[in-house]
Amino acid sequence: MDAGATRRRVVDARDKSCPGPITDLALAYRRSKIGDVIELWATDPGVRADVRAWAAKTGNELVSLEDKSGAIVSVLRILRR
Amino acid sequence: MGGVLILGGGTGGTLLANMLARRGIEITVVSESPEHLFQPALLYIALAGAGADIVRDERALLAKRVRFARERIVRVNLAAHRAEAASGARFDYDSLVVATGARAEPAQIPGLAEIAERYGNYHSGITAAQKLWKALDSFRGGTVAVGQASPICVCPPSPVEGVLLIDKLLRRRWLRSKSRLIFFTPFPRTYPAEPINEIVEPLLKARGIEVKTFFDVDRVEPASRTIFSIEGERIDCDLPIIVPPVCGADVAYEPDGALNADRFIAVDKKTLRIKDTDSAYAIGDATDLPTSKAGAGAHLQAKTVFRELMGEPAEFNGRTHCAFDLGNGTGTFVISSYSAPAVRYPPTRIKRLMKMLMGRVYWLSLSGLFETIFNWYFSWTAPERLAARWPRFWRRANR
Repeated sequence: MDAGATRRRVVDARDKSCPGPITDLALAYRRSKIGDVIELWATDPGVRADVRAWAAKTGNELVSLEDKSGAIVSVLRILRR
Repeated sequence: MGGVLILGGGTGGTLLANMLARRGIEITVVSESPEHLFQPALLYIALAGAGADIVRDERALLAKRVRFARERIVRVNLAAHRAEAASGARFDYDSLVVATGARAEPAQIPGLAEIAERYGNYHSGITAAQKLWKALDSFRGGTVAVGQASPICVCPPSPVEGVLLIDKLLRRRWLRSKSRLIFFTPFPRTYPAEPINEIVEPLLKARGIEVKTFFDVDRVEPASRTIFSIEGERIDCDLPIIVPPVCGADVAYEPDGALNADRFIAVDKKTLRIKDTDSAYAIGDATDLPTSKAGAGAHLQAKTVFRELMGEPAEFNGRTHCAFDLGNGTGTFVISSYSAPAVRYPPTRIKRLMKMLMGRVYWLSLSGLFETIFNWYFSWTAPERLAARWPRFWRRANR
């Protein structure tokens, strides 16, 4: 976990089908500040394309997107809002 | 007093009370309102000028042996099995079912309460719906922006239904050529579930409706009618029609871990039991379930809890069944479950007619006397079954 002023928020959207993961990401974004890191766990394969499109559109950084323990884990750093 | 205590007299609470009463169980329904509103009809009051005969007396919808108390519950002690009302009245229970629904809360977004006050909307009751109809009535051309203010809203098809019905209305009034119609959504596409989006997106395109995706409302400037998104975009319009954010009822729970940040109740997604309790359940819009907030969900969840209270094995499978009026005389349903993504269910005139008929059948359906028919219908339209029946219309959500 990141310490200090920025926060790392883990969002668990596993077993939620579309639009569950992107809904949870949007809600986490709403509650975030610049510099925060959002770690989104999902199982719906559509999350890959949605997260990439979301990062491109919102100007936030997709730090990593990987498969981990049967889930798709996206790490996003909030640069704009 | 013991027995089953149901908080809330909406779709789920009323149906469950009537089903349990028929089995001779002692039931108390507590609701703040003496009236029961058929919420889906607000769309037609606001955007088609329909009549407002969409309210019934809740007491008259409940079986005679159900005890009804008109109280505003403010506190529930899940450990002590007790609910307390603002008046000081106390309700002890053996089993609890929370069905307090969701309420529109425009104040969550700066400026939105003023917009709602000025232009109305179709998610906050009859008065707001009639106000929007008046605003549309005096609209003589310009920019109309329609969309949802938050990713969570009641009845997910309703924002798109709204923009399609407004397009239809403006065409009928010969105002469409003088108007720009913008649809905004926090999601990556017009309709969040891809198979339904495949139906909906071409419709909006064909009608010249502009779509702004990833537009998550941050604030609204009432004087200039400008909508700003968290993502840094803005929409300037003459008529903002904004679906307000929703939250759970203003009830305090002990222990307080039962509620999430938006006051929705954390439940097990299959048993519908409130987390860390053994005899308390929540159903319908009041829950944090990852499914659509809509009447069919509340109906099916009420049936699951009914079976559990009867000691029968039962699990909620996440089924949704949201009626979708496409504004061109046809309709479809958004049908999915925890294990099956939404089906690309072909739009037909009959499906729209079924949505319209539900407005009539709804009051009867609350009696619980027609469950055999509903069981057959929901089983006949199960997403897996539809997929097998029309394989060419069925696509995996993200293929």
